[in-house]
Amino acid sequence: MTALLRAEHLSCALPSDGGERALFRDLSLQVESGEIVDLTGPSGSGKSSLLTALAQLNPHASGDLTLQGRPVSAFTPQQWRTQVTYLPQQAILTGQTVAEAIRLPFTLAVRDGGSNGAEIAEDAYNGGRRRFPSLLRGAAHHTTDRLDDAAIRRMLDALGCGDIELDRPPHDLSGGQSARVALARTLLTRPKLLLADEVDAGLDDDNAAKVAAIMTRAAHEGMAIIRIRHRPPDGASSRTLVLSDGRLHGNDAAHDSGSTDILAAAHADGSRSGTARPEEEA
Amino acid sequence: MNGGTYYPIDVWGLMAAMLMVAAAAAVSWRMRLGIGRTLLWSACRALLQLCAMGLIIGFVIRADNPWLVALLIVVMLGAGVQITLSRAKGVPRGMAGPVLLALVITMLLMLTLVAELIVRPTPWYSPQLVVPLTGMLLGNSVSALAVGLTRFFESMRERRDEIQMMLALGATTWEAARPSIVSSLRLGLLPTTASLASSGIVTIPGMMAGQVIAGGDPFDAAKYQFVILAAISALTLLADTIIMLLVYRRCFTDKDQYLMAW
Repeated sequence: MTALLRAEHLSCALPSDGGERALFRDLSLQVESGEIVDLTGPSGSGKSSLLTALAQLNPHASGDLTLQGRPVSAFTPQQWRTQVTYLPQQAILTGQTVAEAIRLPFTLAVRDGGSNGAEIAEDAYNGGRRRFPSLLRGAAHHTTDRLDDAAIRRMLDALGCGDIELDRPPHDLSGGQSARVALARTLLTRPKLLLADEVDAGLDDDNAAKVAAIMTRAAHEGMAIIRIRHRPPDGASSRTLVLSDGRLHGNDAAHDSGSTDILAAAHADGSRSGTARPEEEA
Repeated sequence: MNGGTYYPIDVWGLMAAMLMVAAAAAVSWRMRLGIGRTLLWSACRALLQLCAMGLIIGFVIRADNPWLVALLIVVMLGAGVQITLSRAKGVPRGMAGPVLLALVITMLLMLTLVAELIVRPTPWYSPQLVVPLTGMLLGNSVSALAVGLTRFFESMRERRDEIQMMLALGATTWEAARPSIVSSLRLGLLPTTASLASSGIVTIPGMMAGQVIAGGDPFDAAKYQFVILAAISALTLLADTIIMLLVYRRCFTDKDQYLMAW
């Protein structure tokens, strides 16, 4: 069986004064459908850079990526990112309302043709209408066809955001609420691999548990998830990878979850760096 | 001119105007506003540049040679590019080509539409019409381009997290850059639309004023002024749009990744 995502020779070097500083080099990594992998490591070790490299968002990274056996070159960058979707640590919500913020992905041209494998763009109604860049057209047109209010409501409720009305302006939300709305936005696009960068960092235990529960459910439906986490293990993940000194430990062999001492080391590392914000978002 | 009276300005008039600037500079120096020196310096520059331009245009009109007109326009375009680049702050290198292209396209359109289709001078290259037209268009689009470029790259820097988020969700570079493009177009066009709306009520635009002072028929001058204002607004928007289309990709790699530093 081919892995969902296979990454080989992943390297990332940040430009620094007088040359380049290698963050990691020649990493390999494999993720299967339906598994949740935790990624930990000291602050600044390049965890976010690793995730953005997988999503083809990192201009300083290189490597060979395949998704279900198809090489990255067979996708446009946009098609790849709808399947391998990075969720940044910093939740940015656009638009006038929470509903509009959540519908943003469905206003994008890549979801217009319906050929991206995600079952969300089934209506051919808008197909091919966005060939030309639209300067004047507003963002929200016909997107309610793609994603109705009820679906958004169900997702928000499941994430413990039952108190967030859909017509609420996004800038009224607290940090934890924004993080969950951003998570809802990405989950509703149904990527094959979700790369979640410390989504639960700003949440209390209760809500972090709700986030873990919904991720577990998504994984049961086949979504693979890599989470950068600094919290104690919550039992949702099947294994933990540790990125430190440019190397990835607790590696891939099978679902053996790495050895216990690696797990322990991971969480020791994690708690030491606490909620410190990594500066590696190159 | 249409037989009206024309009142020329002599050397004493120039000196009186300079004296006014000097007085303003002195006041600014007393109040420690810190703009006196700039004001004086700019006034001297303006005096020299305008007199030089006057002499040159006079020479070109008398010579009545299309190549000379073309040469003058090329020099004006070069100066336009240089001024745009020196005014635009925080933009990447290599903007000269796109700026020149935007200015050339709009200038050619201006000359084709306004000079050759609307006014139809004889000879067709009439320097008396073509040179001032080019000057007015360039003056407007140069500041619009400088403001537009500055605002665009500033906005792209401010929105880096938003851009990264949009790209992550599958946005094209155009979709991710669009809000910055819109905001820079709006800002670049603001003075133009404002002058369009206020002309005739608050201000008598420079060109109309000039024609009236020179003894021309005010209604004719008004028609002329409208044609010029309308053309300039449309072409300034066009110049700004062209430059945005040419440069927005600078913020991305060929794999559609956002670049922090350009």
